[in-house]
Amino acid sequence: MTETTDTNNYLLSVENIDTYIGQFHILEGVSVNVAKGSITVLLGRNGAGKTTTLKTIMGLTPPRNGKVIFDDQEIQGKRAFNIANLGIGYVPENRAIFRALTVMENLKLAERKKGDLDRHADFIFELFPDLSRLSKLKGNQLSGGQQQMLAVARALVPDNKLLLIDEPSEGLAPILIQQMMEAIRKLKETTTILLVEQNFIMASQLAERYVIIDDGKSVHRGLMSDLVLNQDLIHQYLGASIQAPTSRSEA
Amino acid sequence: MSHSNKKILYGVIGVFVIAAVIFALYNYAGQEAFIRTTLSGLTLGSLFFLVAAGLTLIFGLMDVLNFAHGSMFMLGAYAGWQFYTNPTFIFGVLPLVLAFATGVMLIPLVKPLLVRLNLSDAWQNRLPKLLYVAALIVTVLAIMKFDILGLAQTAMVAATTTSSNPLAELSPQEPLSRFLWRPLLLMISGALVAVGVSKPGDRTEISAPEPLRKRLLFPIVLFVLTIVFTLIRESASEGVLLMDGNLRFLLAIVAATLFGFLLGALIEITMIRPLYVRPFFIVLMTLGLSFVLRELVQVLWDPLAYQMVRPPLFAQPGRATTIAEWLMNGSSTISIAGVTFPTYRLFVIVLGVVMFVFVTLLMTRSRLGMIIRAGVQDPQMVEALGINVKQVFTVVFALGVALAALGGIGAAPFLPVQPMMGDQYQMQGFITIVIGGMGSYVGAFVGAIVLGMARAFGDYFALKLQLSPTIAEASTVIIMIIVLLLRPQGLFGKKD
Repeated sequence: MTETTDTNNYLLSVENIDTYIGQFHILEGVSVNVAKGSITVLLGRNGAGKTTTLKTIMGLTPPRNGKVIFDDQEIQGKRAFNIANLGIGYVPENRAIFRALTVMENLKLAERKKGDLDRHADFIFELFPDLSRLSKLKGNQLSGGQQQMLAVARALVPDNKLLLIDEPSEGLAPILIQQMMEAIRKLKETTTILLVEQNFIMASQLAERYVIIDDGKSVHRGLMSDLVLNQDLIHQYLGASIQAPTSRSEA
Repeated sequence: MSHSNKKILYGVIGVFVIAAVIFALYNYAGQEAFIRTTLSGLTLGSLFFLVAAGLTLIFGLMDVLNFAHGSMFMLGAYAGWQFYTNPTFIFGVLPLVLAFATGVMLIPLVKPLLVRLNLSDAWQNRLPKLLYVAALIVTVLAIMKFDILGLAQTAMVAATTTSSNPLAELSPQEPLSRFLWRPLLLMISGALVAVGVSKPGDRTEISAPEPLRKRLLFPIVLFVLTIVFTLIRESASEGVLLMDGNLRFLLAIVAATLFGFLLGALIEITMIRPLYVRPFFIVLMTLGLSFVLRELVQVLWDPLAYQMVRPPLFAQPGRATTIAEWLMNGSSTISIAGVTFPTYRLFVIVLGVVMFVFVTLLMTRSRLGMIIRAGVQDPQMVEALGINVKQVFTVVFALGVALAALGGIGAAPFLPVQPMMGDQYQMQGFITIVIGGMGSYVGAFVGAIVLGMARAFGDYFALKLQLSPTIAEASTVIIMIIVLLLRPQGLFGKKD
């Protein structure tokens, strides 16, 4: 488990960020590095600060201290739309798709340049065939799984260098989790991904690297292949909130 | 019962109740009175819609209740009335406003350079304040001895005399050689503000600037406009007054709407934007703003009521029997199913319907509409998609104010133009959006028609049964109470 300090390999480096929400000190020194072309997963208990880390990178909850470097540029303190336009796609938790918009409109809205959707439509609908069938339905008429697909698909409309994906498997039926995993694996061929995932099986199969966040601090990092062997670490920081790899046969 | 079945049932009951009410009114009032009152109701409803549409769009997206909306209605009426009757004031002041705007618009040009300066923290704090003070001094110098009241009076002269030759009312203005330094100084003042706003030395503001061509566009366009309007400052008024009256009225509508749009943008950027974190302050701020604007209008044009002359298309005595005949003769009244009705009011009804279609198309077909519908639910996520939500807020606020201003100029030819004229419409606008459902433009349309009808039939019954005329005003509130009891989220509102 050796981390190089050479930041040039990283598409994204989060350096020691502090984030407050109101008066609450949510992140107290989180550091995360994401190498180009890889999947890094943030692990940790509920409320540890994983989602806030993604939001801080995105500029939705700006950090008070620390640096966020994306593509060799400091982006902390920039407005969220500016950060997004640098090439970061955000898939929030709880399927925050737009309920009053149709599937097609949800996708259209994510265009940054005219024609973004046309260029990527084939790829998106190949990943999520359901969406093309449902394109005229409104967001609130979709099932939970379909909404989640749409939330991920939306991030694929523009050319993004980095995707921040928050709990893609949350509340999905096992068969859909499988489909989501396939989709994310395919995405990895073209983009870099920072993932938050509670489903340990999914996380361990997708990600090369992990960062454990506990109580607002990044406490552990390394290769996923090492972590799966380290039951102590898993139990210490992830406890009951994850399904241990041995506790369940693969879907 | 399932959700959609319930909806259908309510719909059927609603249609039945409406049909019953219409039938009862028709039988009671008789055909002539029914049609006349309905048309009056639609006229009122059309104006209510123009006020309520802006209110509901702004509230739906930004949760801002704009208590200055009635003042915007009033200002739209004044702007259009001034443009139509005697645009001396508008063209006299326009170069100054444009000059200042040219200076301020230098922000995107100077900001990328200024934020890279090496300044100590103390100077970073001090410099903008010093610049603002300097800008204020320069502005005072620029408008010193500028006879703004005199300019405003010229329009009053034109409004109170019924001269057939409007050019006779034009008063000579300051010669160009003496006027010229005013826009120059204001440009400098605007530039000082631009430098201050750019936060010199604030390195956190460094971001990749847009291409130079794009950044130059606004200042250059404004600069050219400033020069043009400085030169045609006097001749423009003449030109406008020599125009065909109908064309002039059309331009007055455009001018008032554009004025509303720009005023709305200015108010949002300078006053509302800093207060989004404190919604209650926005209520107080807009309320205060409405008083300030009203007083300002009273200073300029005195607390008097003016009657705007109707444009020629609606002014010739006589009754047309068909729409073609009206359009040809410009008759002041038209016969609709045997009822004589003023043509101008018919125009107001059409204006309301056209704007409803426009808003509908905007909301359902355009990208802006898509952003608004998405932003109503989750502005943060819209921002995370790479859309500048602050800018969208500005545009929507400006659009809402523009609709109110359009309502104002629409009302000017048949309502007295006076500083309080918007108050009643603001009140009815609020009631409209409560009935229709906050945030729903369809609700605003339906609510406006319901309220317009209630007012019209309230007046009719008050007259016929010799009741107090306030019964008409009370009727709208009674409807609001009934709707709130049965459907607290309004007719087309969504439960959250």
